[in-house]
Amino acid sequence: MSAAIGDPLASLDTTEVATLRAVADRLIPAAGDMPSAADVLSDARLRFVLNARPDLLGPLRAALRPELGDDVAARLETLGRHEPATLYPLQLVIVGGYYTDTQVRDLIGYPGQMALELRSWEYPAYLEEGLIDAVLARGPVWRDPSTGTRAVVADAPQTYAERYAAGEAASSAAPSGEGGQ
Amino acid sequence: MTQEPADALIIGAGASGGVVGKRLSEAGFRVVYLEQGEWMDRADYPGNKLDWELKARKDWATSPNIRGLSQDYPIVEDDTPVSPLMYNAVGGSTIIFAGAWPRALPSDFRVRSLDGIADDWPIDYFELMPYFYRTDRDFGVSGLPGDPAYPPDTEDAPMPPLPIGSAGMKVARGMTKLGWHWWPEFNSINSVAYDGRRACVQRSTCQSGCNEGAKASTDLTHWPKAIARGATLITGARVRKIETDAKGLATGATWIDREGHEHFQPARVVVVAANAIGTPRLLLLSASPTHPDGLANSSGLVGKRLMMHPFANVAGLFEDPLMSWQGQFGDLIESLEFYETDEKRGFVRGARWGLAPTGGPINTALPSRAGEQIWGPDHHEHVKTHLGHGANWGLFAEDLPDEANHITLSSTVTDSDGIPAPEVHYTMADNARRMLDFHIERAKESMEAAGAYKIDVDRLMRYSGWHLLGTARMGDDPQSSVVDRWNRAHDVPNLYVVDGSCFVTSTGVNPTSTIVSIALRAADHMIETRFEQQVPA
Repeated sequence: MSAAIGDPLASLDTTEVATLRAVADRLIPAAGDMPSAADVLSDARLRFVLNARPDLLGPLRAALRPELGDDVAARLETLGRHEPATLYPLQLVIVGGYYTDTQVRDLIGYPGQMALELRSWEYPAYLEEGLIDAVLARGPVWRDPSTGTRAVVADAPQTYAERYAAGEAASSAAPSGEGGQ
Repeated sequence: MTQEPADALIIGAGASGGVVGKRLSEAGFRVVYLEQGEWMDRADYPGNKLDWELKARKDWATSPNIRGLSQDYPIVEDDTPVSPLMYNAVGGSTIIFAGAWPRALPSDFRVRSLDGIADDWPIDYFELMPYFYRTDRDFGVSGLPGDPAYPPDTEDAPMPPLPIGSAGMKVARGMTKLGWHWWPEFNSINSVAYDGRRACVQRSTCQSGCNEGAKASTDLTHWPKAIARGATLITGARVRKIETDAKGLATGATWIDREGHEHFQPARVVVVAANAIGTPRLLLLSASPTHPDGLANSSGLVGKRLMMHPFANVAGLFEDPLMSWQGQFGDLIESLEFYETDEKRGFVRGARWGLAPTGGPINTALPSRAGEQIWGPDHHEHVKTHLGHGANWGLFAEDLPDEANHITLSSTVTDSDGIPAPEVHYTMADNARRMLDFHIERAKESMEAAGAYKIDVDRLMRYSGWHLLGTARMGDDPQSSVVDRWNRAHDVPNLYVVDGSCFVTSTGVNPTSTIVSIALRAADHMIETRFEQQVPA
């Protein structure tokens, strides 16, 4: 597993951080009610991303190297054309920092991956709307290997109510106490 | 040190190994398992943490080459457009699989007879039905009974169906307009508390390990029960070779621990359950004077006929918010409308469709699988209109067996113990390409019928080799198959292969339900024939 490596930001000099924020501003600028990634990518956010993904630090520094010049658009163009494996980590650091920010998540209406209670006792809407009945009314779909054609099943249920009743009858007829293997 | 031989040595602690190990332990076998990975701790799974989407792309990637963890072995994949995916731990790839639980269909076992191509299996769907029911109970399956895409069942899934969500409802209504088959998916994910495990909370992070333990993985469903019956599970144990005696019988396995020390575990019976990449790798590594081309390889088919289900993705975008970042990642709904052969389409066999959630904001913001990337001022509108507004049809194409698709041992790349890595040589067949092209067009029609205003297509996804199949095929003829109908190697009567390697054809569905049902059937047979079993002296 990736391990935290102390303070990953200590590996980036001020020029690299400035370049990163310039790229961030280019990729995700402020618009409407949304802040720019440059404003959101505080040291804390960058530290969070690089602690989660210390493997990104090397390619990130490669993407921020001074030799690529001051023109952000040209830098992105060069990386996209010649070093996609370096460009992607740069994008991931910026996107990762931006979309793990609480304010940004609030603005886009994303609460995170929530734990929701399942309501398995509720009658599913697809049954209520008759969508399953429509599937059952068309009959079996599987191909019978003995004939090579679509199967014909005598007394196949035409509605879910019929199928449910048949399943209940089969359950009540089954021997009790069956315990698997 | 002399050790008492295990009655059964199982190599690989994933899905099929878990099933066989539990069953044999219940029958009183002294079972020893060797697993190169370790036990997982659900508290470490990233799905309920802020950095989930970051870690899902590295430590929790489905590709071992991307993860690069110490328990992984590298796979040389320069000669394949599809990367094999797997996980090495107690539980194996069930730790990261989605949990979708469709069964193979009756026609899948009669491909030669019905379609004049590939081969028939020596077993059929109806023979497997009791094993489907038993594995459904053991793994814990949720589903709506009565799917007319399958023969009528005599036993329903043990739990009610999981919800299909707003995205599932929208697409189901579209399918109904078209008069096409769809059904709520069967998943090995708890919809209610079951067998000591909690119900699903719809977090949608199934492929990064299930924090709730609601998704079946054999570290939860099988290994504790096997160990309670006396089984011994050795982790951090990388098997280098299955050893044989002068008569050609398997005598056990040589394995390497995490400190690099070599050990030998003797056994009366050896069961290989290391997936369709790891298993042929090990059999090829186990060449000896009595098995010069690799163990159990007199047919020359060990490592051949690799099948991986070429996969395409059709993503519909809707005006309505669907909150489609939530929901089981095992599918919401499926369709088998175009699963069976219709030669007018220009190909044989078919594909299964599974509708899945669409991921969080980082996934939405980064370049899409179809290659679209939106930066600059339009980025925000892109994220706001895409996040939670999508529905994805994943299309699994049946992959027909071809000996040219195969595994070899690398002469240049090794794992961390110096053992040659597997090299994958795989080309997508024209039949599969035509199949996927047809299904993509139908899936687009489905999204249009559902009201999608934009549809994106990924015609062949590289990181989609979830289903590893066929590299030690089953059959009655030792000249054209590696194992018999009971998963016993033709050449080595005390060696069994119980993972997806044994598949004769790939089917067009997620294979885990079928793999574990075949494995359970093999275990039953081992028990029934235990007193006739040939073992080393």
